This record gives sequence, C-alpha cells and structure tokens, in this order.
Amino acid sequence: MKKLHSLGLFCAGLMIGSLPLLAHHSFTAEFDDQQPVKLTGTVTKVEWQNPHIWFYVDVKGDDGKVTNWGFSGGAPGQLFRRGITKASIQVGMQVNVEGFRSKDGSHNANGARVTFPDGRQVFTAGSEDRVPEKK
Amino acid sequence: MNKSVVSRRLVLSSVLAAASLAGFALPVTLSAQSKALHKTPDGKPDFTGFFHWPEAKNGMHGKGSATVFDRKYFAPFKPGGEAFLEPRTGDPRHDEPRDFCMPAGFPGGFLSAYPVQMFQTKDYVVMMNEFQRITRVVPLDGRPHRTGLEPTYYGDPVGHWEGNTLVVDTTGFKRWNLDDYFYTDPKEFRMHSDAFHTVERLTWRDDNTVDYQITIDDPKIFTRPWSQDFEMTLRPDWEKQGLLEYECEENNRCTGGHCEGNK
Repeated sequence: MKKLHSLGLFCAGLMIGSLPLLAHHSFTAEFDDQQPVKLTGTVTKVEWQNPHIWFYVDVKGDDGKVTNWGFSGGAPGQLFRRGITKASIQVGMQVNVEGFRSKDGSHNANGARVTFPDGRQVFTAGSEDRVPEKK
Repeated sequence: MNKSVVSRRLVLSSVLAAASLAGFALPVTLSAQSKALHKTPDGKPDFTGFFHWPEAKNGMHGKGSATVFDRKYFAPFKPGGEAFLEPRTGDPRHDEPRDFCMPAGFPGGFLSAYPVQMFQTKDYVVMMNEFQRITRVVPLDGRPHRTGLEPTYYGDPVGHWEGNTLVVDTTGFKRWNLDDYFYTDPKEFRMHSDAFHTVERLTWRDDNTVDYQITIDDPKIFTRPWSQDFEMTLRPDWEKQGLLEYECEENNRCTGGHCEGNK
C-alpha cells in the first residue's frame, strides 16, 4: 500500500459544503455512519450512470485475500459540474476511498472521498452522504 | 462634422462631466438596458433562462443542499387533520419511495439541488428541474384548472399575471411528500394531503435574481395557508451545457435499504 504524504495532498475537487448535491435516496436508509471505511486498491469497473455513479475496487486484505468493493457516488451531472468526469476514475487506477459501509453488511459503501497516490483528491459524494472526517 | 454638432457634443460632455462631479447617477443608458432585459416583446416579464434552484434568502436548508421548508413559517396543524409527518411502516416502497425512483413531487422536486431551466413563450412557461427532468408546463392565459383529471404527483398548474408578477396556482395533487426534510431527519417525512394547493409568485427583483414565493395551502393539515420566500439566481454559466439527462432507473443499485453494487 502506498503511503499518502499529507504534504502532497491538495484538493482537486471542491469542498462539499459549497456544492449542489442531492441524492435520490436517503443516506441514512442505506449507509451506516457508524461504520466508516477507508480502503485502498485497484479500480476494476466503473459505472458512470444515473442516479449514482458506481466504481468497484479490488482491495487486498491483511490476509492477502482480495475482496471487490462497490462504492456509490453522486449523479454524473452533479459531478460533471464539479469538474469530475469518468476520466477522473478509471479502471486500473490505484485509489484510496473513504466513506461509510452499507447497512446490509455487503461489500458496498458510499464513496465520498477518493485520494490518488499523488495526493490528488476528488469528492465523489452524492448529496446527504456523510463524508468521513479528515484525519 | 459641422459646428452645431460639435458644439452640442461639447455641451453634452460638459453636462455629463458636471453631473459626475456632483455625484449624480446617470441611469439613462443602464436603465434602458435593464428594461430591455427579461421582457417579452409585448412587455411581460420573461423568465426564460437558467437558474439556481430556489433557495431561502437566509440560506437555510436541510443537511444537504436541497431546499426545504423552515418550520417557523408553518401554520398551526389542524387538530384531527391528516398526519403530516408520515410514520414509517417498514415497507421500503412506502418509507423510501425515491429509492425506487418514484417522482420527487412538487414542490420538493422543484427545490432539488439541480439546475432549473425556464422557457417562456407568449402562451406558456415551462419550468424544469434537472432532477428527474421534472417538467411543469404552465399556461399563461389565466384559464381555470382542468376538471375531471385524476390527481397527479405534480398537480395541474395554471398561470396569470399580476402586474410584474407571474402567479402560478396548482391544484389536483395526489397525496405525496412535501419536501426532502427526511434527509435531515428520517423521522420527519413530510407529506401533503390530496387537498394540497400551492401558489407561486415569481418577480424579477433585479437583473440577476427572481423572488420566488410559494404559498402552501393544505386545509386537511394546516389551519390556514402559509408562505415562505425564496430566491432564484440567474445562472447564465449553465446555459452552454444545458440541463443534463437524469434517468433514475438507469443504474439504480440501492433500493429499500439494500445496495446491490456488490454482494
């Protein structure tokens, strides 16, 4: 796992608070804000579609086992106006994704903040989605 | 150039200079431009354009960015009236209809945090919100509401002019949600009844802002109508892209509390 150097971090996206955001669904119905996730891996698939983008990441656990996680984000139109397009997250990219796990315990989460190895970040959250605190 | 033209110009220049020094505004040219803006050829206000979705003037909204109604403007609830805060039943189709891409409804959908486009002709104004491509076609000739229609999610809007204000009166709603406050508090799923009636008033405040007042009149729930003021900011920067497509069913993977991106 590549270490992300905080000095190299800068925000490629805009801050959540200033963005027009709306999801068609309720975050609280689907995701558990008591189960934050922060996972790193390789993007295997991207679905850049309404009502929410989805991108899938192969995550290698400490035991060496690879699990594929699905991350839900905002609507393509909203992301587009934020300067985020499907070129921003592509198959093969290494990403670190922060969000909250799906309440049903599946390997899904809302993907709120994506960080790349060079420190760039994009905020892919849909509206009402909680974003984990930066640590 | 003849001498009389030159001397008239000199006089005018002197007057303008003197007025500037005296601190007088010279609104002639500016007001001519302002008057030409947002007016139809027959002199009616023209609401054609791209706008920020309605926002409360004090900037207050729910936890996300969608606009919701502020409780402080509510009229008292009618005793014995229909429940306004819809209790959960456990059936996801009832509790989270938007999870299943059911309509956002009005006014909640129109207050969604997506661009709004309005397009006006002599006979109609069309009001669209990119979210679910919500589209309302409002006749402007002051006609009465249609009769014999089944109730709908978005009702039957009719428009008329009161001076420089466009008034849109909407009835014929089916019982549905009022706004998206449940994103802020999942216990407060605000529902209007089938007696719901709204009145919107749109007025250009200045060249870049429309005052948007909406009156909520629901005699099964509230003792009297109540209103809240919002504003819509002109967004010419959104014109080039236009409204983007939003097909909710395209890849809807989270329904009723279950996300199916992965198992």
